[in-house]
Amino acid sequence: MPEQKISTSKVAGTWAWAFQRLSAVLLIVFLAIHIYADHFMDLDEHTGDDPLITFEGVSLRLDQLFYIVVDYGMLSMVLFHGLNGLRTVMFDFDMFAKRKKLVDVGLWVVGLATLVWGIIILLPFITGSGG
Amino acid sequence: MKVRDFKWLFGKNSEFWPTNMKTGMWAWVGHRLTGLVLVAYVFLHLSFLSTASVGDDGASFNDLMATTSQPLFVAMDFLLVIVVIYHAMNGLRVVLFDLGLGIRRQKLVFWVCMAVAAVLIVGGLWAIWDLIFVSSGGA
Repeated sequence: MPEQKISTSKVAGTWAWAFQRLSAVLLIVFLAIHIYADHFMDLDEHTGDDPLITFEGVSLRLDQLFYIVVDYGMLSMVLFHGLNGLRTVMFDFDMFAKRKKLVDVGLWVVGLATLVWGIIILLPFITGSGG
Repeated sequence: MKVRDFKWLFGKNSEFWPTNMKTGMWAWVGHRLTGLVLVAYVFLHLSFLSTASVGDDGASFNDLMATTSQPLFVAMDFLLVIVVIYHAMNGLRVVLFDLGLGIRRQKLVFWVCMAVAAVLIVGGLWAIWDLIFVSSGGA
């Protein structure tokens, strides 16, 4: 083990631990819908060697509020779960555990910026007009 | 930072040295490695989607999808399927333990989760098979 002077679980916190589990379970549900809708739902209508996923196809799906909620819900959950997981890994190393504030602020900035970016890049599909 | 600072990770007496690791430790190491891969993938995924904002009516996005529907990329998608399903099923096991379920039979629970993962992965391969081995790709 790394020579820990600081206990990882104490640094990471109980809320982070609880939300990591909650987001994990939600991600399994979201991912199942996401994969089914993107890769299986229209498989019967798929012919030949055309790409399975097209701008038009995704736009058509994202006309429905349900899929917008699923995709944005998944985006926020995956960012939390991924970056919080990364945070847990980082806190196993003293050089990061000693700089908890900096790591936390840094990951929040990355997470929120990516959330905004993710919201924006899905807009062309939702409005149905790319570019 | 010196090399000996990493003896806990790479040394023969380290608990991460392959012969020193037991089932739970392999599961834990696998969970972390797949987790890191998936974080990187999320950013790759978003950057691919961002092409929809370039060009008319998603032309750039459609071009990219035509490229990524070629067998080589679909085969890489299958690697992603393996990574996701392992992470999800091992994660489910972690959640069960946190709820106080199955801790006394943790090895059994691990292998049941891995059996379910194997079934899902085979199902994934079955679904994706034609796109890798039959289709000539969307190009």
